[in-house]
Amino acid sequence: MERQEIVDGLVEVLKTVRTIDPERLKNVTEETDFKADLNAPSTELINIAAKVEHKFGVEFEDDDIDELGTTVKDVVDLILKAKARQSA
Amino acid sequence: MDSLVGVSPQRILFHGPTKLLVDNYHWHSPEVGIVASYTPKERDVHDHFGIFRGVDQIESFAQATIVSCGTFLGCVKQGCTPEDLRQKFTPIFISVGHVVFQNYLEKGDTFVCIGRITFSKFRQMTCDGRIYKVPKDIDPDAYFADFSEERLMGYELSSDFVLVSELFDITGRAIKNEYFIK
Repeated sequence: MERQEIVDGLVEVLKTVRTIDPERLKNVTEETDFKADLNAPSTELINIAAKVEHKFGVEFEDDDIDELGTTVKDVVDLILKAKARQSA
Repeated sequence: MDSLVGVSPQRILFHGPTKLLVDNYHWHSPEVGIVASYTPKERDVHDHFGIFRGVDQIESFAQATIVSCGTFLGCVKQGCTPEDLRQKFTPIFISVGHVVFQNYLEKGDTFVCIGRITFSKFRQMTCDGRIYKVPKDIDPDAYFADFSEERLMGYELSSDFVLVSELFDITGRAIKNEYFIK
């Protein structure tokens, strides 16, 4: 799965998050920060992670979430890590 | 243990004696919700008009629901005791969504926190629920012995229970102790 494909899928997930202004989702890149750029509350990050699991058919560990950063790149990396773990 | 019923809250909640606001667990379905009670003591109403504070209702509800249920599920998942979990994690409030106070509680008024789990993942839990004042002639252990998930979802209680507050999106998370600056 290409990274841009994951970013696109992530944007689809973010469109379902009511606390994120859809206007802010027009130019999402891997450098986009959930808190600084999308103004997502910290509580929302856990909900986003749960939705991402469902969207991409992966399973995150509790520790993955503890160590997760706040950028789109961090989530893309985590999805790829979880996928690699699944196929190992 | 299969549930928290009959377990002392002091084994689950590591708050000090003046901050522990749960006396007993009466009903518990680990993935669904819980019923727990507390009776405000003199110290709980001191300097506050003899009334149990609204913020303490929220704290009591959080202890009874997200902390107790989260600790139980954490122990099951990790195959450990609450004491083991306490060595690694501290429960913290993440957010309080919305609370409506409809009545008040005085010293000696036993109340039940009825909590429904709406989200539980990645050591974070969210509950909705209600607090009811228990009628003086009712023994909560006996009353909730045959409680059910259906009755929990519908808050099906006899009409002499007095609705005190409704709580929505009460969220907490277990944070690794190493993230705290000692």
